[in-house]
Amino acid sequence: MLQKPRNRGRPNTQAERERDWARGAAEEAPSTSRGAGGSQEARGTSSQGGRRAEASPEVGPRSQQQLELKVAELVQFLLIKDQKKIPIKRTDIVKHVIGDYKDIFPDLLKLAAERLEYVFGYKLVELEPKSNTYILINTLEPVEEDAEVRGDQGTPTTGLLMIVLGLIFMKGNTIKETEVWDFLRRLGVYPTKKHLVFGDPKKLITEEFVRQRYLEYRRIPHTDPVDYEFQWGPRTNLETSKMKVLKFVAKVHNQDPKDWPAQYCEALADEEARARPETGGPTPSS
Amino acid sequence: MEEGRAERRRRTEAPSCTQGGARRAGIMTDVHRRFLQLLMTHGVLEERGVRRLQKHCYRVHGRTTAVEELEDFINNINSVLESLYIEIKKGATEDDGRPVYALVNLATTPVSKMASDFAENELDLFRKALELIIDSETGFASSTNILNLVDQLKGKKMRKKEAEQVLQKFVQNKWLIEKEGEFTLHSRAILEMEQYIRETYPDAVKTCNICHSLLIQGQSCETCGIRMHLPCVAKYFQSAPEPRCPHCNDYWPHEIPEVFNPDKEREAGTSKANKKPSRSRQH
Repeated sequence: MLQKPRNRGRPNTQAERERDWARGAAEEAPSTSRGAGGSQEARGTSSQGGRRAEASPEVGPRSQQQLELKVAELVQFLLIKDQKKIPIKRTDIVKHVIGDYKDIFPDLLKLAAERLEYVFGYKLVELEPKSNTYILINTLEPVEEDAEVRGDQGTPTTGLLMIVLGLIFMKGNTIKETEVWDFLRRLGVYPTKKHLVFGDPKKLITEEFVRQRYLEYRRIPHTDPVDYEFQWGPRTNLETSKMKVLKFVAKVHNQDPKDWPAQYCEALADEEARARPETGGPTPSS
Repeated sequence: MEEGRAERRRRTEAPSCTQGGARRAGIMTDVHRRFLQLLMTHGVLEERGVRRLQKHCYRVHGRTTAVEELEDFINNINSVLESLYIEIKKGATEDDGRPVYALVNLATTPVSKMASDFAENELDLFRKALELIIDSETGFASSTNILNLVDQLKGKKMRKKEAEQVLQKFVQNKWLIEKEGEFTLHSRAILEMEQYIRETYPDAVKTCNICHSLLIQGQSCETCGIRMHLPCVAKYFQSAPEPRCPHCNDYWPHEIPEVFNPDKEREAGTSKANKKPSRSRQH
């Protein structure tokens, strides 16, 4: 029924492709790199007798099945990459999946985004306008009971992240690193001491969360000893909101969000800004 | 672009004929999406867990209407997944016939899902173990034999000590099962890689005489050599007074296992985790 890519008299190609993959996986944070072999595969298959697309002259002699397969590869690539919470660079997408289909990249990405949202409930969004990096946002609200039926542990580090995000917001959207540790020490989390749940808290906060774009970490100039400051990263604004974080902080203190009038006003304003119609979807900037 | 329009239609309206011909894709709702999202967090999941997951998803989305029969529920989702070349595949564990489910890739080659979790040399180690397992009579490859191949691995040099840990990682991630120092394929690996294995090792691959699927562990006829999965043996000989080989009619010399009964297990209150499976060499 479904034709899958086959090795047609090229005995080494599979091994080569696997090596490309594995190399791609070894080189960077995990990827399902298929290299250009992927697109060659697809073309090889469909010459077997895929249906030909009559209607779209701009895509050239590629069959509908090939396009479908390309979109499928792209969807899988995005899902797997996002699992690691590392933003997905457009250049990586082109390199590892798109290959020869570069001319229709925007269409492929759009189709993939549609499928991702319709089938899985994930929205593909650009991290920042014109950044050419993407993340997946869950359109479904996570529920506490999800944890009971999950196959993975979820991320135990989320708790720590929420605390740091709360600290940053309550302190006026910027906080010094020294202040963060002053607070975390009271919870038994130290920059220099290994933590049972979080492992290396300093690395987690200053490197991993930053890499995942939840936090921004900048050096404060002219400080001696050197100090850094934290702010919310672009992913945080996409995945959560000031109001949600304020509610979290309020819950932790067993109080009401309105007990912090300044922050509450700010969060309200943020909610209003979000409610205004979006200026565009996850269209890739070609 | 024509496909874009069809995609948009599919999302907003009742199922319509897709361009691929007569296939009718089902409708995805948030119940199905949550189910898929959570199913993806499991490499492979037992049917019991799948039912639990299904019920959970209905509950979250406040659907008090009757939960759809699992088979129909999954077929519905699979009809949507078809165009993405993935499917929720049902299989059974080779040792005791438990039904299991995994989300598998239909279109790609071997270790793509693994490729994102493991380094080049680790993937090659898996490949070597896979080959030994397929070539073996019993479906098991000894730790020693696998580790002896570390020098032949592609990529960064790996020491035996490290390889031992990598093998444990494979066990933890449900790609391999370990029994008494020997390794065989986990049902996850069999579900995901059956196609790849059949294509890559067409001469060495063994299949079951009853269900015709890939066979790694099983029983074989000592006369004519045909093989059967343990759960297939159980079903085939269930009410047979005298078990005989379906191919050559010779007396079947092995112990006939019991057919897997999920209800019996629930009564007994034993969980698979507590039971230590008995290791029987049936070849």
